[in-house]
Amino acid sequence: MRRFYISTTLLFWLLVTAFWAGSLWLPPAEQSQAVAAEKTYSKADLAKHATPDNCWMAIRGSVYDFSAYLPEHPSRPDLIEPWCGKEATEAYNTKTKGRPHTPYADELLAKFKIGKLAADKPK
Amino acid sequence: MSFLRFLSIPLLILAATAGPVFWALPEGLGLARSLGIVVGWAGCGLLLASLLLMLREPRLARGLGGLERMYRWHHWTGMAAYVLLLAHPLLLAGDAWPNNRQLAWQTLSPFDQGWPVWLGWLSLLLLMVGLAVTFERRIPYRTWRWLHIGLGLAVLLGLLHLVLLGIDEPVWPILGLATVFLGWRIVREDFGLAAQPYIVQSANTVAKGMVEISLKPLSEAVSVTPGQFVLVAFFAGPTFRGCGEFHPFTVSAVGASGEIQVGVKALGDCTQKIQSIEPGVMARVHGAFGNFLADRPSSPQLWVAGGIGITPFLAQIRAGLLKQQTLLLYLYRAEADAAFMDEIKAIAGRDPNLSLRAVATGNDVPDLTLLLPDAAALTQHDCYLCGPPGMVAGLRKALSLKGITPRHIHFENFEFR
Repeated sequence: MRRFYISTTLLFWLLVTAFWAGSLWLPPAEQSQAVAAEKTYSKADLAKHATPDNCWMAIRGSVYDFSAYLPEHPSRPDLIEPWCGKEATEAYNTKTKGRPHTPYADELLAKFKIGKLAADKPK
Repeated sequence: MSFLRFLSIPLLILAATAGPVFWALPEGLGLARSLGIVVGWAGCGLLLASLLLMLREPRLARGLGGLERMYRWHHWTGMAAYVLLLAHPLLLAGDAWPNNRQLAWQTLSPFDQGWPVWLGWLSLLLLMVGLAVTFERRIPYRTWRWLHIGLGLAVLLGLLHLVLLGIDEPVWPILGLATVFLGWRIVREDFGLAAQPYIVQSANTVAKGMVEISLKPLSEAVSVTPGQFVLVAFFAGPTFRGCGEFHPFTVSAVGASGEIQVGVKALGDCTQKIQSIEPGVMARVHGAFGNFLADRPSSPQLWVAGGIGITPFLAQIRAGLLKQQTLLLYLYRAEADAAFMDEIKAIAGRDPNLSLRAVATGNDVPDLTLLLPDAAALTQHDCYLCGPPGMVAGLRKALSLKGITPRHIHFENFEFR
């Protein structure tokens, strides 16, 4: 068992090093995320999609449709569902204890983008 | 062992693993990310099972097929959990690797992250260091034991990593159970709350570096039968100061009114100190554990004892006449090491079913095949072995060569590390 421990631990650090080296030496793949022609939605449009089954949110000026993703979100539903139909940038940037989401989440976010949020009219 | 007891630990592990995996089973995510989530939860379940399997409770041990079996599974589940938890962050990062290698590293690297990921890393590193310590046998037992229990901290940090990720629904009960198991082990077993108070009545040197201690219960006596072992911690007496930590000792005699005798060989710092124990020393006894000589069949038997390994057999022959024809092969290095020899000879003289063969093997490793009876003489025999792990391993091999199937070879190779 001792040998197994040593070999798995070494393999782990070898792979961690490979991930690090890969990020340094290999060019990142082109951002393949196809951004659809930007469509603009108003806050009223946003508010019409305020249920877990039909859940849009606005984050950092973009509008996202999270209806399909919501069941996969790691936190419990009552943390994320109240943000359906709303501007949720602050919640996204300061999830529990004020932490921003991870780069992985940022990447995931792009997959659900459907357009941008119309700017508020100057008063 | 009954079929139900045989299945008890595998079923327990299956339930502890499958439950959280089923709850968290991802849908619609990439293969590597899904696998990463599954192995993370499976590792979490295995760690919980591993914590349960480190408890030293006689009833639990009986239900799960014995403390030795529990410890064997404790080691395996701990190791399997470690490997799965190593794979967890690698698979999560691997999901992004084909499209964006920088993102893959950002997912894995703790440098760009917050407390939830830092706690995950801290937990993994603690597991890594804790297991490295577990495999290090040069560390004194007392230090080793506390460092090993410290692995429990890694489990708690790993669960907090999940809570901070916002995944608290299934984690709170798991965290609660893990805390209960750890607390149970430390308070009831390491601090001795589950043990009964005893007092040393007498202590006799029975061989070189070996003392037999008679213990009298001060309240309720532990229930013990010949072949079992108890965990005993010796404290202070008139002039003696014990090390106060629980060590396993096989019972060498069981009295009618709850007194027990244990044989202690000087194998480490604590057991060396115990050689000078005196009457009046306070002790705590926890147990009993093991089923080495329980439920023996009516077939003729071969008992092989190596050194201190004589104690379970001694407890059995002291308890009364044997029902099975039994050959006791007693192996020791030199005459000075042959504990209880006169008494065993006397018992063999009056028990028609017991015959004794005592052999001084010297300091070199003996040829066990030559010491054992011929294959023809061992037909239909059940063999019971007790001694140092190396000797037991050698005897098992030699007996197999003589045609004895593993089903008829019984041993308890107990080690607490």
